Amino acid sequence: MANYIIALFLGVGFGFSLNKAGLTKYYKIVNVFRFTDMAVLKFMMTALAVSMTGLYIFRGLGWINFPSVPPTYIVGNLVGGLIFGVGMALTGF
Amino acid sequence: MNWFKTQISKEMWSPYIAGILLGIIGLLAVLLSNSLLGASGAFESLAGLIGKNITPALFSNIYWGVEGARSLPIMRPEITWPVILLVGVFFGGMLGAFTSRTFEFRFNDDAQWKKIIGPQPWKRWVIAFFGAILLEYAAGIAGGCTSGLAISGGMLLAPAAFLFIAGMFASGIVTALVVYGRRY
Repeated sequence: MANYIIALFLGVGFGFSLNKAGLTKYYKIVNVFRFTDMAVLKFMMTALAVSMTGLYIFRGLGWINFPSVPPTYIVGNLVGGLIFGVGMALTGF
Repeated sequence: MNWFKTQISKEMWSPYIAGILLGIIGLLAVLLSNSLLGASGAFESLAGLIGKNITPALFSNIYWGVEGARSLPIMRPEITWPVILLVGVFFGGMLGAFTSRTFEFRFNDDAQWKKIIGPQPWKRWVIAFFGAILLEYAAGIAGGCTSGLAISGGMLLAPAAFLFIAGMFASGIVTALVVYGRRY
């Protein structure tokens, strides 16, 4: 139960940050593929850098164990990514 | 305090600041729940849950699990942690719009979309519908979406995440080229 309450609060933070980064807007998403507005990439890479650094520090301190890492399946990941890009550039989601 | 108020009521933050916030949220998800942020999996769990209640035979497969089978399903057809997260995302996005006073019901209001594809709302809805099917299908194949695989996988340095990002940008750029044509 407590886990679900945590999920709800984290979700609110997640949605809030997406909204404030402007990722809920069509033009923000599609313009990253046109190289005219790189906000999506700046947002994603900053999030990656922050959480990556934190995770490895926390693991070093022994506070966490990594959750199961998404499995590598080269064809699946790549083909999935290719189809995903089409949908993303079309709809701007 | 006033400074805080001005920041909260801004419609858009610097992507770096918003990114730091998301990074902290992603970190807290692992620290507090040992879970990864994701969006697409929640829809798959919900689809499985609904499908299993309507046509159990059709939805009895390795993806959503077979009754009495010993192997675990790939996507549990239940109200899972990501489903609750998704509910939070809905309200979080709303909160963002309320704080910047930009909340309203829109059908097709993006100036760039209107210019390139057309002002008719039905076009937006049809393309959104079929595009979303592509997105969810692709996320199913790859094992996650932009948040669940690219960001959450990336922060664990999973190779899958970087393969996915490469594919996403390669086809996204080509699609944008096709859609925008000479206006690219």
